[in-house]
Amino acid sequence: MPETKDEKVNQSVKADPNYWRSFEELHRDPKMIEQSHNEFQQSVTDEFDPKKLSSFSRRKFLALLGASAALAGTGCNDYPDRGEIIPYNIKPDEVTPGIANYYASTAACEHGCGILVRTREGRPIKIDGNPDHPVSKGKVCTQAQASILDLYNPERLKNPLKLGGSGLYVEISWENVDKEIIQILNSRGSREVAVVSGRIVSPTAKKLFDEFAQKYNAKIYPYELFNESLRNRAWQKSYGGGLYPQIKWDEAKIIVNLESDFLGSEGNRIENARLFAQGRDVNNINNFNRLYVIEGNMSLTGLNADYRLRLRPDAQHEFASALLKAVNGSMSELNSFSKKFDLSEAALRSLVKDLKQNSGKAIVYAGSTLSEEVHFTVNAINEALGSTSLYNRQAVELYPLISSGDLVSLINSMNSGRVAAVIHFDSNPVYHFPKDLGYESALKKVTAVISMTETNNESAALSNYILPINHPLESWGDNKTRAGFISSQQPVIAPLFNTRQKEAILLNWVNGDAKKYNDKIYHEYLMNNWQSSVFTPVSADSNFKQFWSNALHDGVVITNESSSSSLSFNSSGETSPKLVDLNSFVVALKPAYSTVDGRYADNGWLQELPHPVSKITWDNYAAISRLTADELGVKNNDVIDIKAGGESFSIPVFIQPGSADRTITIELGYGREKSGVVGSGVGFNAIVLMSGQSGTSPWIFKASVSKGTGSYELVTAQEHHVFDDERTKDAAQKRGIIREGTVEEYKKHPHFLHKEGHELFSIYGSQTNMEYTGLKWGMAIDLNKCLGCGDCVIACNSENNIPVVGKDQVAKGREMHWLRIDRYYSGSENEPKASTQPMLCQHCDHAPCENVCPVVATTHSPDGLNQMVYNRCVGTRYCSNNCPYKVRRFNFFNFRDHFKDGYQEANVFNLIYNPEVTVRSRGVMEKCSFCIQRIMEAREDAIEHNRTIVGSDVKTACQESCPTSAIKFGDVNDKESEFAKFRNHQLGYYVLEELNVRPNVTYIAKLRNTHSEEA
Amino acid sequence: MKNSQLDYILRIRLPITIFIVITSFALTYYISRPERDGIGNTPEQPIQFSHKLHAGDMKMDCKYCHTGVDKTRHAMIPAVGTCMNCHTIARKDRPQIQLLKTYYDEGKLLPWKRVHKVPDYAYFNHSVHVNKGIDCTACHGEVTQMEIIGQVSSFTMGSCLDCHKNVHDKLPELKSINKGPNNCYACHR
Repeated sequence: MPETKDEKVNQSVKADPNYWRSFEELHRDPKMIEQSHNEFQQSVTDEFDPKKLSSFSRRKFLALLGASAALAGTGCNDYPDRGEIIPYNIKPDEVTPGIANYYASTAACEHGCGILVRTREGRPIKIDGNPDHPVSKGKVCTQAQASILDLYNPERLKNPLKLGGSGLYVEISWENVDKEIIQILNSRGSREVAVVSGRIVSPTAKKLFDEFAQKYNAKIYPYELFNESLRNRAWQKSYGGGLYPQIKWDEAKIIVNLESDFLGSEGNRIENARLFAQGRDVNNINNFNRLYVIEGNMSLTGLNADYRLRLRPDAQHEFASALLKAVNGSMSELNSFSKKFDLSEAALRSLVKDLKQNSGKAIVYAGSTLSEEVHFTVNAINEALGSTSLYNRQAVELYPLISSGDLVSLINSMNSGRVAAVIHFDSNPVYHFPKDLGYESALKKVTAVISMTETNNESAALSNYILPINHPLESWGDNKTRAGFISSQQPVIAPLFNTRQKEAILLNWVNGDAKKYNDKIYHEYLMNNWQSSVFTPVSADSNFKQFWSNALHDGVVITNESSSSSLSFNSSGETSPKLVDLNSFVVALKPAYSTVDGRYADNGWLQELPHPVSKITWDNYAAISRLTADELGVKNNDVIDIKAGGESFSIPVFIQPGSADRTITIELGYGREKSGVVGSGVGFNAIVLMSGQSGTSPWIFKASVSKGTGSYELVTAQEHHVFDDERTKDAAQKRGIIREGTVEEYKKHPHFLHKEGHELFSIYGSQTNMEYTGLKWGMAIDLNKCLGCGDCVIACNSENNIPVVGKDQVAKGREMHWLRIDRYYSGSENEPKASTQPMLCQHCDHAPCENVCPVVATTHSPDGLNQMVYNRCVGTRYCSNNCPYKVRRFNFFNFRDHFKDGYQEANVFNLIYNPEVTVRSRGVMEKCSFCIQRIMEAREDAIEHNRTIVGSDVKTACQESCPTSAIKFGDVNDKESEFAKFRNHQLGYYVLEELNVRPNVTYIAKLRNTHSEEA
Repeated sequence: MKNSQLDYILRIRLPITIFIVITSFALTYYISRPERDGIGNTPEQPIQFSHKLHAGDMKMDCKYCHTGVDKTRHAMIPAVGTCMNCHTIARKDRPQIQLLKTYYDEGKLLPWKRVHKVPDYAYFNHSVHVNKGIDCTACHGEVTQMEIIGQVSSFTMGSCLDCHKNVHDKLPELKSINKGPNNCYACHR
């Protein structure tokens, strides 16, 4: 039935059913509409007054430069000094200037993914994944990639410090500090020595801890703010022992996910993402998995759900119990549950049907922050579904984390003077421990507090001794997280400062003689341990030295261990759930996507990486639903007060589409007070709300919430790049920025995406097309596999020397990321469907930017690249204005100098730059180059070996880092290649194809694996 | 009236015109001298190394010392240790060799003066040129005849492109070689 005109108008004023990115857009906020008519954010040129920059204008500068050059030209020597070339005195064999070396090592976190460190002329410049590693298979997370920035952090501690009498820290030599500490340890009497560390994943470090504990009557307290303890406890209750296994996501057809963010922040997400995406292969359409997500706040996993139901996290036990009954045949409880929480009954019916039909191939997975009871019930469901075959029981725990009870008793002994010394072994308990335990005040009662840390932190600031430690790239080590292999960690650069490896410090104390220290002690200790515990001589002539250097070369050693025994489920622990009061507020605490638990707070790349869901940078916030916001009378950026367990806490809100009502989700890892100039004062520290006394879950608890006073500006990268979609209805769909379908639709009509056969019109008319006969570069991005995690953004930052600009600049739309991930919502604000899309320079054949450059600084190459020449660019910004994709970035400042008073100009910072990419300065435009330096390297290699370069020779940085391999790159004209399958895929489309700018990035349309309407 | 105008032309206009013409000629001449491109640049080196002796008379291969030239973008100046491969034995009595030996023994860095220079924003690559069969002399001249190393060709963008565009005229001995790329990304990134 045709709509009347009025209805249409009314609809467009009310709500647009199509793609939207924010509530302002959905509700047609007039301010927003006006803003969206402007291509750039209003403020993009705010406070950018060239006159203010310096009284020395460019014109004046050029005039003076010209005059002085003329003077120099006439008056001085014909041959100005060209500097020096200084060769090595004795060249190390492995170093050839201009050629990168790669060293295999292991990421220093509890998951221990394999890394390959790329070094140039002896300095590490990028961290890639180690393809030989059996778990991570050549991919690493954002944090591991960005950790290279920490190596060159100018604020690293450079010498040991001792708290002097005047309350100031004074430098002290290593020998003296060791002597004093050994003295303290020896004179402990009957008192305890406490070592607070993170999770222990190194077998050699464990051995060292054991020796240390024995020698000095020490107790080790490994603590992690986020951990799997509740899940493991439920597992032990269900099966009598062991650890919760890994899930074979690749074999699961139906995945039901309760409040877990296994694709974003939980467990080894790199492995999870890789396995999950194997069930999202458009060339194997019958093997598509289906993801149901039931969660309280939109998570990265929720973004990728086929069905997403919003449910407050404290109701998960009730839900799991109802689901268990439904799987066992009785639907009534689930039906009444769906009525109580207003969940879609159809979705729940299809969920139960799917679970039953796919028994053995269906898995229910609960988030690690949920209570033990939920996990127990979920284990029972999986048992009922016969899903135990999807368990991969290889998890290894070298040293159990401490329980909250241990923590309480530690603090009691500290308070009663029974602790002689506390050693913070690269840990930050003052920040991480729940505040109600009173660790900070207990610390004051301990006479010797020793902190080993790379940079200053909250715990170091309360210590008597601060010992600077090596970065993981300067350290030896090993790592064991799974049965079946052990991985090695090796230094790739000598310590930049007067630091020591943390294990070596401890080992020196175990040895008990401060004078005996040398650089090799831990290296030798590690080798000895491997010789005795890992090395098994296969034959008489196999020697350890050979074995050791092979292990370092590969980064990983496969060991023969078998772990599995049969599982017998004990169902007696099942408890009936407490019913949830819908009127109460619940707070859910989550790890941050960027800074995790705050340990990466000093990392500018991570702070500036937009949140994968909300796109907010440099802050955390309380995510709430629209209804809750209305109830509290707040809008975005308004501050709310949260009271829980006697603590009060204020934080600005962000209205997150898809949030459950009366659920307040806050990410931890922010609000660091002593984290250098980058991390201090970023966001809000919600750890104050946590309680150390054991409840059902320390991360989910009831709270009272009220409107607070004032507001705080949250900065998001999402509302830049708004295209004017007011002119036409259905704009996002018609313009084809996002195109989607369902699996069933695709199975029936493989060509459904292109059935309209729309006419291409072009604002550039019928240009004579340039012929690309030879190799021509192109990219294809599979949106079925793209999860929106942002690994590619960090890889690009690292590869292409992209500066950090800071929160104030992101607010003005001046972030410099060459690659961004756009996130679109469709549907209603309570039940949004989300789509993500990496957006980068499309290297258009008819590039609109090229036509408008007055100085020909951007041109096209014969292999199809849109070239940007910094030296020609005079900064008119016409190209950016004319770019339909808004992917060009302008250096409004020399951001290296501008950000935090030249933080990135520190000498040590220069070592991180990729020498194959120009470091850009003020006044020039820049953009994605398809990693031209890698293309040129491949070309050189082809010429050296006298062969022709082919498309598969080049891997771009983003492609290399993508955990799901969603990004493909290659030669458009090579019809036989793997890349061509995606370039010419029937699901392939181009963004804004109708402009006829002929982009060269093919997007493979996302297929949602939902049931058709009839089902 | 008439007088004064002639007077003005003769006294003011003419000298100015002549001055401008002469200075333009002088400046153009001065600036277009080959020295302005660095041709003839022969800085004094910390050790008087003779390419004529080593590469010319003794016919050592360029690649014996410049090991990177067919592998990377840098030709590479040899490490002091490379010199000492021979000079631990050869010509130990010469003062310059003794000077070299002190650098080696003391582990001091040897600061050679840079002769050829392309700007930092141009990513010139030795290996692609050498591996395509272009002789070192095409750019560096007859090094085998140079007692002191100096620059003989211009290293401006114009001279690069001159050869890239007219490679068959410039290097007739290389029959199968393609024209060099002349897109921006070939050198700038």
